[in-house]
Amino acid sequence: MDKTMDKTAVLDLPEALSRADGDQDLLLTLAGLFLQESPKEAAAARAALGRQDRAGLAAAAHKLKGSVMTICAPRLFESAKRLEELGRRGEFAEASPVYADVETHLAEVHAALRELIARGFPV
Amino acid sequence: MKLETLERDTLHAPRPEAPVTTILLVEDEPVTRVSMAARLTRLGYRVLEAENGRVGLDVARRERPDLLIVDWMMPEMDGPTFCEAVRRDPLLKSSQILLMTAHDKPAQIAEGLVRGADDFLSKSASKQEITARVLAGLRTSRLVRVLETTGDELKSSMLQLQNKQAETEADLQTAARFVQSLLPPQGSPVHGIALAWEYQPSLALGGDLFGVMAIDEDHLGLYILDASGHGVAAALRSASLMTFLRGENILQLLGSYDPEKVLSEANRRFPLSADGEYFTLWVGQLHLPTGSLTYASAGHPGALISSVQSSSRWLTRSSFPLGFDPSAQFTNDRLSLKPADRLFLLSDGIYEVPSPDGELWGRERFQGMIDAGKQTSLSATIASCFSAARGWQQAQHFPDDAAVVGIELTGGPDGTLNG
Repeated sequence: MDKTMDKTAVLDLPEALSRADGDQDLLLTLAGLFLQESPKEAAAARAALGRQDRAGLAAAAHKLKGSVMTICAPRLFESAKRLEELGRRGEFAEASPVYADVETHLAEVHAALRELIARGFPV
Repeated sequence: MKLETLERDTLHAPRPEAPVTTILLVEDEPVTRVSMAARLTRLGYRVLEAENGRVGLDVARRERPDLLIVDWMMPEMDGPTFCEAVRRDPLLKSSQILLMTAHDKPAQIAEGLVRGADDFLSKSASKQEITARVLAGLRTSRLVRVLETTGDELKSSMLQLQNKQAETEADLQTAARFVQSLLPPQGSPVHGIALAWEYQPSLALGGDLFGVMAIDEDHLGLYILDASGHGVAAALRSASLMTFLRGENILQLLGSYDPEKVLSEANRRFPLSADGEYFTLWVGQLHLPTGSLTYASAGHPGALISSVQSSSRWLTRSSFPLGFDPSAQFTNDRLSLKPADRLFLLSDGIYEVPSPDGELWGRERFQGMIDAGKQTSLSATIASCFSAARGWQQAQHFPDDAAVVGIELTGGPDGTLNG
């Protein structure tokens, strides 16, 4: 992810639009797809955490991280990335609060995307 | 830089009928897959999508895409395993693969390359970098395909060439059989004369030819010719001179087979060829009732007389080959042959054979074989010459045409030659 990007932003819309080659319709499609797919990965991560499954946790967090990269959500990206690393290392105690962060940030991103879909791009 | 410009400048301009460049995208995560597919489609490529490695392999086998872009982490079959499967597949093994990854740690890049990836594509790479890597992958893919096609074409050209060569070889053998059929039959061309010869052309078709034929009741005509050069051209020229030297033709043209007249006429009709090729020719006429041999040579060194009583000697007189000087005069020499005398006509190919050390067998050694063979049959003497020459060069085939023709006056029951 762009190192200059503000890591505290919920959604970096200009960057996301640039990654979609300026195609607003495409970005809306990707947003809809993200709203549909990301809860599955979050659920998979939670389940893996519950059964202390290192590989399962890392894979779910990794997949979430990949989609987050595409829609450019910096805060969620950082927490998903951290969750993937902790999963890979099997540090489940530390992973639990990070998973909570992922859920919080995911909810923020979902809200922002729903607003984008409802109201369209800011002029 | 505009992408269209980059593509046009970097790749061969596609022909109008050329199929659309196809890229297979194997990625399990739908947001990234849709985003990347949209970008590639916008660049003008046909994009096939697969959500895991197993499906990707099936699509790749079916569609033979120009480039494979494959995610590293996938369920079912991950990216590196997919690369290995491609490299093992005879149909796909030369495919270009970009392995897509969210991280770019050197150890992982090394592992991906070892397991069959051609290049890496970071998911966080800029649009320009992604485009450049895709173009580079496609460029390599096209080169590989050109190489494969060229390889196939080479194979098929080689096959065609081999077939062509077999045809040519068969043609040459047919032509060689024809030329052999022009040579005189072994045995006794006329009463009182024995004829034996051995002939081994250096190629299928020889340029050294000879003739022994009855001209009329009293005369036997003889010749041996040597065309400069080798191969089909020399053989064709020789066959044409041979046709000219046929008895009926010479009688019609000149009224007799008088050697100096034959040589003068041949000299006029067979000038130096455009590329400097020429003939040497020895012609003789034997008067059968008396054994009187009239002969003349146009640069041909190859006639040897062998008598029972004395050592053999060469019948030579320095002269031009045919075609060098249109006004050249050729002079007859005469010699009286007695019963049991042998006359040998030969091409220099029989004695100009080098030993493995490079020393030529030479005329003297050939002559020695002839002298040593007086007590053996004519054909056995000739055979021993060939065998000695082969032994000298320690090879079966001669570097030049090798011919030895032997005539022996066997005499009639009443002691005359034409009894």
